[in-house]
Amino acid sequence: MQIFPRSLNYLPLIAALAVISGGAGVTFAIWYYGSPWNTQVGYAPVQPVPYSHKLHAGELGIDCRYCHSNIERSGEAMIPPTQTCMGCHAVIKSDSYKLEPVRQSWETNKPVEWVRIHKLPEHAYFDHSAHLAAGVGCTSCHGRIDQMEVVRQDQPLSMGWCLDCHRDPGQHLRPKDQITNMAWTPSTDAAELAARAEQVNPPQHCSGCHR
Amino acid sequence: MSKRKPYEFAKPEKSGKVFWTSLEAKADPEAFQARAAAEFPEGVVPDGLVNSESLTLKRRTFMGVAGAAGALLGLEGCVRRPKENILPFTRQPEYVVPGVALHYATVVRSAGEPLGLLVTTHEGRPTKVEGNPQHPSSLGGTDGYTQAGILDLYDPDRSKGPAKREGEALVDTTFAEADAALTGLAGKLGQGAKLRVLTAPSNSPSFLKAQKDLLAKFPQAKVYSYEPVSSANRRAGTKLALGQAADVSVNYRRAKTVVALDADFLGTEPGAPRASREFFDARRLSSPRDAMNRLYAIEPGYTVTGASADHRLRLAARDAGAYLKAVAAELAALGVLADIPAQGEGDAATPAVSFEALRGAVNGAKAPATVPAQWVKSVAKDLADPAARGRSVIVVGTRQPAEVHALAFALNAALGNLGRTITLTSALDTDVGSATDGITALAKDLSAGAVDTLVILGGNPVVDAPADLKFGELLAKAGTSIHLSEFRNTTSTKVSWHIPRAHALESWGDLRGSDGSYAIQQPMIAPLHGGRTDGELVAQLAGARFWRAHELVRGTARELLPGDGFEQQWKNALHNGVARDYQPAALGNVALATDALAAAARTLTEGKSPLSSGNLEVNFAADPALYDGRHGNNPWMLELPDPLSCVSWDNAAYISAATAKELGIENYDVITVKSPEGASVDIVTWVLPGHTDNAITLHLGWGAENVGRYGDKVGFDVFPLRSTKSFGFGDGFTVAKTGKRYMLSQTQETHSMEGRPIAIDASYEEYKEKPDFAEYRSPVLSTLPLWTEVKYEGHRWSLVIDLNACSGCNACLVGCQAENNVPSVGKEQVARGRDMYWLRLDRYFVGEDEAAPQVAFQPVGCQQCEEAPCENVCPVNATAHSPEGLNDMAYNRCIGTRYCMNNCPYKVRRFNFLNFTGQVPETTRMMYNPNVSIRMRGVMEKCSYCVQRIQESKIAAKRDARRLRDGDIRSACQQACPTGAITFGDLNDPTSRVAKLSKLDRQYKLLPEVGTQPRTSYLAKIRNLNPEMQG
Repeated sequence: MQIFPRSLNYLPLIAALAVISGGAGVTFAIWYYGSPWNTQVGYAPVQPVPYSHKLHAGELGIDCRYCHSNIERSGEAMIPPTQTCMGCHAVIKSDSYKLEPVRQSWETNKPVEWVRIHKLPEHAYFDHSAHLAAGVGCTSCHGRIDQMEVVRQDQPLSMGWCLDCHRDPGQHLRPKDQITNMAWTPSTDAAELAARAEQVNPPQHCSGCHR
Repeated sequence: MSKRKPYEFAKPEKSGKVFWTSLEAKADPEAFQARAAAEFPEGVVPDGLVNSESLTLKRRTFMGVAGAAGALLGLEGCVRRPKENILPFTRQPEYVVPGVALHYATVVRSAGEPLGLLVTTHEGRPTKVEGNPQHPSSLGGTDGYTQAGILDLYDPDRSKGPAKREGEALVDTTFAEADAALTGLAGKLGQGAKLRVLTAPSNSPSFLKAQKDLLAKFPQAKVYSYEPVSSANRRAGTKLALGQAADVSVNYRRAKTVVALDADFLGTEPGAPRASREFFDARRLSSPRDAMNRLYAIEPGYTVTGASADHRLRLAARDAGAYLKAVAAELAALGVLADIPAQGEGDAATPAVSFEALRGAVNGAKAPATVPAQWVKSVAKDLADPAARGRSVIVVGTRQPAEVHALAFALNAALGNLGRTITLTSALDTDVGSATDGITALAKDLSAGAVDTLVILGGNPVVDAPADLKFGELLAKAGTSIHLSEFRNTTSTKVSWHIPRAHALESWGDLRGSDGSYAIQQPMIAPLHGGRTDGELVAQLAGARFWRAHELVRGTARELLPGDGFEQQWKNALHNGVARDYQPAALGNVALATDALAAAARTLTEGKSPLSSGNLEVNFAADPALYDGRHGNNPWMLELPDPLSCVSWDNAAYISAATAKELGIENYDVITVKSPEGASVDIVTWVLPGHTDNAITLHLGWGAENVGRYGDKVGFDVFPLRSTKSFGFGDGFTVAKTGKRYMLSQTQETHSMEGRPIAIDASYEEYKEKPDFAEYRSPVLSTLPLWTEVKYEGHRWSLVIDLNACSGCNACLVGCQAENNVPSVGKEQVARGRDMYWLRLDRYFVGEDEAAPQVAFQPVGCQQCEEAPCENVCPVNATAHSPEGLNDMAYNRCIGTRYCMNNCPYKVRRFNFLNFTGQVPETTRMMYNPNVSIRMRGVMEKCSYCVQRIQESKIAAKRDARRLRDGDIRSACQQACPTGAITFGDLNDPTSRVAKLSKLDRQYKLLPEVGTQPRTSYLAKIRNLNPEMQG
């Protein structure tokens, strides 16, 4: 008398296959989650104006805060108003075809539609002014903007990446007057880094960033 | 019903006091315990009234939803996040920094009085209102009406443009066409003999000036004023007493004895935020040595003023005058009603006053039969106390007739209160008819065919005018009628032209308070749907060249502000929110019109026909949420539980238990209330302990049509019962049973703490005897901490709530809702105990006397326990402790097990059972606070001590490289509270207010025996009982 049907003979095989493929799936999911495909490192969309940070910030050496002027006051990094562009480009390269959208915006009073690159989830309340006040430089999160022709996302901006720094901020802290210095390199003196990290005490609890 | 047994606790030492949440709970405490033990109490609403099937998810639907969600989950990782644009300004406006909120001072009219505000705007969107500490009628506090006003601004059902009548229907049109029609109309008016304007009583100087200009252009036109709830009677009474119109403002801070006669001065009456602050300032105790004022409240219904009273007398509204007359007679017997000799010299001179006629008029007056003798004797004795001379006040409710106000005014004068607790200011608007005079005169004109053009500024007179005037029918007799209104309400549907009205936060204006303060109202945002102000329409009609409100207001300010340097004064007035340079016109010498007073006092007699269950008194009260119906489409206000009855999403006929028994009715029964004029209204019954027998309290403003998507026909419209004779109250009403039952949502038993009394109170005498009675009454810690105790360095946030200063006004609830994007959930969800209030207001009845219990209020939010039970049970660590002692809630980590909610002894966690924020209209989204996450379905949420404000202030301090100062951070409830009952701060800063308050002897923690070690402390309530009134 057979209690089990014959088809059940395949059960161990099916189970084995399921374990292998399931395990592979989980492995893939975790790997994918941390990969740049998910975190979108390198995302560099085409902008309406082919604005070059390499030229402006790098070669011309304009300070970041000339355009992103309220970054030390506001949580949000502001994209400069058309007015800021026109401050120079009303006289410099005033007939460049590349600047046509800017001039159009100035005349029609409609904003230039820049494409967002650095996007944090809406439940993460990142504050630029707090980080600048603590002495985190622009490059720590944005990379060498002064060398980018087209701006791309340089860091994963994931929670794990945030916490890496919040747990051990020393490497990324610099004197306040060096915040926008793209070429600044951290000291190698461990004691100095530790002393600097001592002063900032970055939050590691939920409500530090999520409200 | 949960299976677990309730914990056994060491019972608190018997205090002799009973606290109960409902009559049912008091009658059967064990059944109540069983109900309360369940996570969501069942059996609160009788069977059959809640359709329990309606929200149960069917299995197939669940599978469908779950499957779709799973599919989306799989796709999420592979699809590029949507492209998002950043749109900067083209030209950056000055001061506007994206991400940094701006604050502007303005003023709005709330319950008839101005209320100075500081409005938070985010990139041009007003998102939150706070009181302006510099404005004398706010003193930093607000009321629920104003807190909710921000939601009215973004109401999706506001009128979106002008409309004109074509046949039966209103057809949308443009402002250009409306303006042209208005100009054409004005050209045909001639002397204006057939022009009538109906407006609410106004305290706006610029509007009154525009009105004057209109009357100069059309000398035969008439302007009438009417509002369903107004203080016209009070002004008429003052005129009766003084012979001239004057504005009266009361300084409760100086008053040792306050007698509130049918006056809800802490709740719905004009000027409540300021009155609350001053009244509770005079009873703020830091030790038993501090002095405390005493409040006697005499009222028919149960209001928050009655709840704050040390002694409360249930008395029908019609007998209030007779009672006051009896007190006057007693005062005369005590020699207080003596003549006042002439005093002072020159301008400050006051003439002699002879009270002889008044003494004659009140001589031998008897109190109404239901009033216990000591209520006349002891109250009069307290008032007559020589130490209290000039330090008492008798305040009369606005619905009482002018004669009662006049008598109270005379008594206040005799008690030496004029110039001390009562300040007189020259009136801006000298139109001093009674509350119904304006609308009655208009109805007469209409029926006589004397009106060709009728301009109605705001309001909804077709619904809310006294029913016997039949205003809706008369309106058709006006040739052309124009209605300026924020909503296309019932009146709008009956007029020939409808013009949208700008919200107070969208328009220029000005308001003068009854204390003589003058403030400019400035717009926070351009009118969302066009929209005009009252003054603009009147000025347009008068043919003014510059009719824009900005010009009208500036023009008036130029006249009112003295001296040179107008621009600077104007700027200062806008910046400070109040024009300090303004001086109201001198009132001149005031003399009491003693003969008129005596005549008025003679008319005050006890009601002739004795009240019984067949001859009921009905009194009409402004609703604590909807006021007169103006917040009728505001979901926050519709859901806001009534402070006393806890009824949400409805109004009800409030009635005493004895009368209900006599009439054979109970809660949830629908009754027909019949007025002596023959009108009838069906309304649900609610038995309110402490209500006067043989009387019914009806709240105005509910149940109207054409209100909007949220408020259409919600509740019961009681305006049809209200006639010119019974405008405030009236007798001769009858009640019949209909046999129908009606589902009512109420919150009085939800979130109860298994019957454990957690509001603690004592009398002033008991407090003096044993200052730490609160500690003594609450049982000692019975459990040891589960984890190693953390030593909190840095900040240690805490909240202290002084129950002795809580009036139960609900402003904190609405303020919290506005700050934290807390959704409204709807009537059925409230009935299931799923309301989302992060801060709830518990109302306890106190005492054995079911007919006349006292009341204790207790706001309860998250206690931020140091040994938080919720944290221990969260399987995903979505709720965890911060190093500053906050019990953090990470919404995006929450998977919705609800274990935390189950384990919270305070029942302060709120779960998003449905997608409450999903269907919010686009305009309403503009109101959201961008600094707080919008929570989705399946996520737990709770009070966070306004952590966004904490972080913002900490970052600001860091940015400026300074230390946080005490008072830098204020929680939303603290800031909204008009009485200053709530204090937030850092316990580790020994100089902070919260550290000092938490060391007061009245301090106690909620349910300390559970061992949760809450951060929130309460200060026990103290009642200043008159020893003579006891026993």
